Amino acid sequence: MSQPAEIHTLAGAYALDALTEIERASFARHIAGCEACAVEVAELSETASRLASASLESPPSRLREAVLAEAAQTRQVTASRPERTGHADVRRWRRWTAAAVAAGVVALGGIATVWAVQEQRVGDARRQTAALRAEQAQVAAVLAAGDVEVGTATATGGGRVIVAHSPRLNDGVVLLEDLAPPPPGMAYQLWLIDDDEPTSAGVLAAGQNSGAAVLDGIGGADTLGVTLEPAGGSPEPTGAVLAGVPLA
Amino acid sequence: MSRRTAGDDPDRVESPTTRLRSVGPDDVPGPDELLRLVARGDEQAFAALYDALSPRVFGLARRVLRDAAQAEEVAQEALVEVWRTAARFDPSRGSATSWVLTITHRRAVDRVRAAQAGSDRERRVAAASVDTPYDGVVEAVTANLEQQQVRRCLQTLTELQREAITLAYYDGFTYREVAEKLDAALPTIKTRMRDGLIRLRDCLGVTVEVGS
Repeated sequence: MSQPAEIHTLAGAYALDALTEIERASFARHIAGCEACAVEVAELSETASRLASASLESPPSRLREAVLAEAAQTRQVTASRPERTGHADVRRWRRWTAAAVAAGVVALGGIATVWAVQEQRVGDARRQTAALRAEQAQVAAVLAAGDVEVGTATATGGGRVIVAHSPRLNDGVVLLEDLAPPPPGMAYQLWLIDDDEPTSAGVLAAGQNSGAAVLDGIGGADTLGVTLEPAGGSPEPTGAVLAGVPLA
Repeated sequence: MSRRTAGDDPDRVESPTTRLRSVGPDDVPGPDELLRLVARGDEQAFAALYDALSPRVFGLARRVLRDAAQAEEVAQEALVEVWRTAARFDPSRGSATSWVLTITHRRAVDRVRAAQAGSDRERRVAAASVDTPYDGVVEAVTANLEQQQVRRCLQTLTELQREAITLAYYDGFTYREVAEKLDAALPTIKTRMRDGLIRLRDCLGVTVEVGS
């Protein structure tokens, strides 16, 4: 079963990019709360990139111009990662886990152990821990499902949205990776879209542009959409769909 | 003040390289310093960073993807991402070179996995020989020394460690796929990857001075 050391052995695979996207994101969360792991991962990543020295090759000269031109038109992100300190938003963000908590799902295993690191500042730590554990179990179940499907979409404004879901379990996991930082007072909101009929699937904290969420019950939805909404979320999408991941 | 780490750049690899390098302009900033400037929107620094690292970026993308056109696309995506997210570079977590190559490798691996989903990756691996034309004498010498060092250190690993690491890094396989290919248990592969990298780290003398 899962002892704390187990997740640690993934450090090598992580440094070599030999994890799937979801595992990678989970492990990244793990090291965010584990200084010893972070040091090891830093060193192993540094080591892995030395392997690249075995293959130096000058790119075609047109690449320079293309890269510099595109950079000149690309807005840079600001220095600090947005803190994940939303309060009401985070509770909403965790809403789907309520049923699982009620069911007493606290199993931990494998990848599930990595999920419990963030949002330490949010109140009611115990409830939150329970919610996170339930979420971990759900994430693990989705990822272990034989029919798991992974879809990715690039978001307007940069970053990616990744959805892993299991039609059989009717559950999914959403990852938002480095979306453009939302303007002040705005937040990213997720929507399960069924034949152009959107249902809210959660709101990120204002300012948050990366994160993960469990989709508890996908139903007949065919797309996972992301919009920018006033902080706290909207009953219906008011912004353009910045990314749509098909759940076919 | 940028703290230098062993992974910082080639000029620490061997002394002959250091001497060769010092022939050039004295105050050419290294990748760490350049990236710091890039984070402030310095386009000139970005051009200099491009010149310093693009052969590594393109070479790595090419190695993983094999296809030159795709490698060019991935190199462009990765380098623009470097520009876009330069402010997130944390020098206490490693060198700028490694940070840029990590971004590149990740993109190359994502691309190869997406493209290869459902198709046969065996052939691609069989055709793994890649030569490394590279212009620039100093860089070529540096590269050569680095390559030799990496090659020598790879030889100190057990066969399983070496295979697990190279299949993952150069071919973009997940550890699950590696386990399948090498007919080994998942936990074994996880462990070999980590142990192998640790041995490689010690052989190459890689250190990261964390925090300050």
